[in-house]
Amino acid sequence: MFSLLGGVFLGWSLGANDASNIIGTAVTSKMIRFWPAAILASVFVMIGAVVSGQAGIETIRGLTRLDINQAVISSVAAAVTVTIMTLMGLPVSASQSVVGAIIGIGILNAQLNVGGLGKVALCWVGTPVGGALISVILYRLMAFVYNSLTITLFNADRLLRAGLIFSASYGAYALGANNVANVTAVFVGAGMITILAAALIGGGSIALGIMTFSRPVMETVGKKLVTLDPFSALVVSLAMAMTIHLYTMIGVPVSSSQAAIGAVLGIGIVKGVNTVSRNTLKRILLAWFFTPVVACAIALVITYLSRLRYMPI
Amino acid sequence: MFRFIFKKENQVEKMIYAYLENFRLILEHFSQALVSCIARNRCEEFDFLTDQTHKYESKADDILDEVNNLMFRKALIPDSRGDIMNLLIALDKIPNYLERALFMIRYQRLAIPEIFVDDLQDLIHTSIESCELLLKQVELFLKNETGTRSLMGTIDTNESYCDHIERRIISQLFQSELDPFFKLQFKELVVNMGDISDQADRVSKLVNILTLKRRV
Repeated sequence: MFSLLGGVFLGWSLGANDASNIIGTAVTSKMIRFWPAAILASVFVMIGAVVSGQAGIETIRGLTRLDINQAVISSVAAAVTVTIMTLMGLPVSASQSVVGAIIGIGILNAQLNVGGLGKVALCWVGTPVGGALISVILYRLMAFVYNSLTITLFNADRLLRAGLIFSASYGAYALGANNVANVTAVFVGAGMITILAAALIGGGSIALGIMTFSRPVMETVGKKLVTLDPFSALVVSLAMAMTIHLYTMIGVPVSSSQAAIGAVLGIGIVKGVNTVSRNTLKRILLAWFFTPVVACAIALVITYLSRLRYMPI
Repeated sequence: MFRFIFKKENQVEKMIYAYLENFRLILEHFSQALVSCIARNRCEEFDFLTDQTHKYESKADDILDEVNNLMFRKALIPDSRGDIMNLLIALDKIPNYLERALFMIRYQRLAIPEIFVDDLQDLIHTSIESCELLLKQVELFLKNETGTRSLMGTIDTNESYCDHIERRIISQLFQSELDPFFKLQFKELVVNMGDISDQADRVSKLVNILTLKRRV
């Protein structure tokens, strides 16, 4: 079980980082207190991981065949990549780092499922694009319904608040379902644990990250979305959850940060304003390219180091 | 259906409607006090109505403080919080002008000269009408109903009319042979009366902006 610690660490950092995309808006704008939001998100992450996490786990484990050592190496390489990218301030994707690390090991094993890899890479490009598209459609639809409702200011307020709680729960469910594969799929591939155990351990470690370390991250990252008006924030939150859920159904783990940035871009398209700066877009492109490359390189280096043997002269 | 979940929001809603009802009582007592003052100069009835106006003005402040406390306890979403507090703070300046006018008459022992009674009555009547229309406009805004824009138009017309009366009274005042010290005292009262419709107009425009802002 000690070998699972790399995955648990990755899940923990994923939970701590990605919670800001899910409940950051509601918490930093004081619409809901941190602890109820964190508990709600943790519960829904677990439900999502157990109920709908299987498809993603199947995709990731199908990319290449790993033994136990390689599974541990790939999860450690992914966790180190996430840490490096976070320190560099790039919008890191745990999915890209896990897949990058698996590719590294797949190259060494000369055993890579190119078809599966193509599907995953296509979904990476599709995440922000999908987020933006869903956000535009959702904004138009919801604005039409919202404007035709003759409800009092107080009921509109209650509706928005309830909507944000719902979208945060849905987002947490989608995050758990989608990202649990990043955390424990490699261990399923290595035959260490069953899919149900992977979902429970993965979901649990993401939930642990949300409960223990998401607050400081949320206070810095989450405020980026609060500059949006409450209605737009609700649309962004829902669009992001729907984007992640869509990719969960396809069975590809994607980045919630990139889905959120895509959704914010969508709001900008509808309103004709710049909601995301050029600098942020540049950083996304850099992260897209570097995350899998760095993870692949780290996996190769760790594998190389693990094969070194002491030879007395 | 889920009203029990939003306890603080329900409280804020009740308090705001209580504030508006209290505002109506202030207007009513202010109006009666001035009628009594003009008809019988200073009398017991005027003093009683002034005290009543003061009582309701204090109550308005208490309600506002309570709403403010609830807002600090995170009732409503931040956007609505800011909008409602800005609206109530702007609205709450009007009872202050009303109370100040009555206190000027009472404590500076002002008697309304006969030549200004008609104009002053007109000024008071139009200002009160503006305030009543403003209350209607605020209710329409809270209920998300149409009609706020046309009310803003009427309040704006009333404000121009009040400005016109205010200038006429001041001009006549300084052409008159009245005591110079009284002239300054009376001018202050007239300017204060004029501020009522000015503030009503400002709040009305704020309501219009908030209404537009709430559409997505």
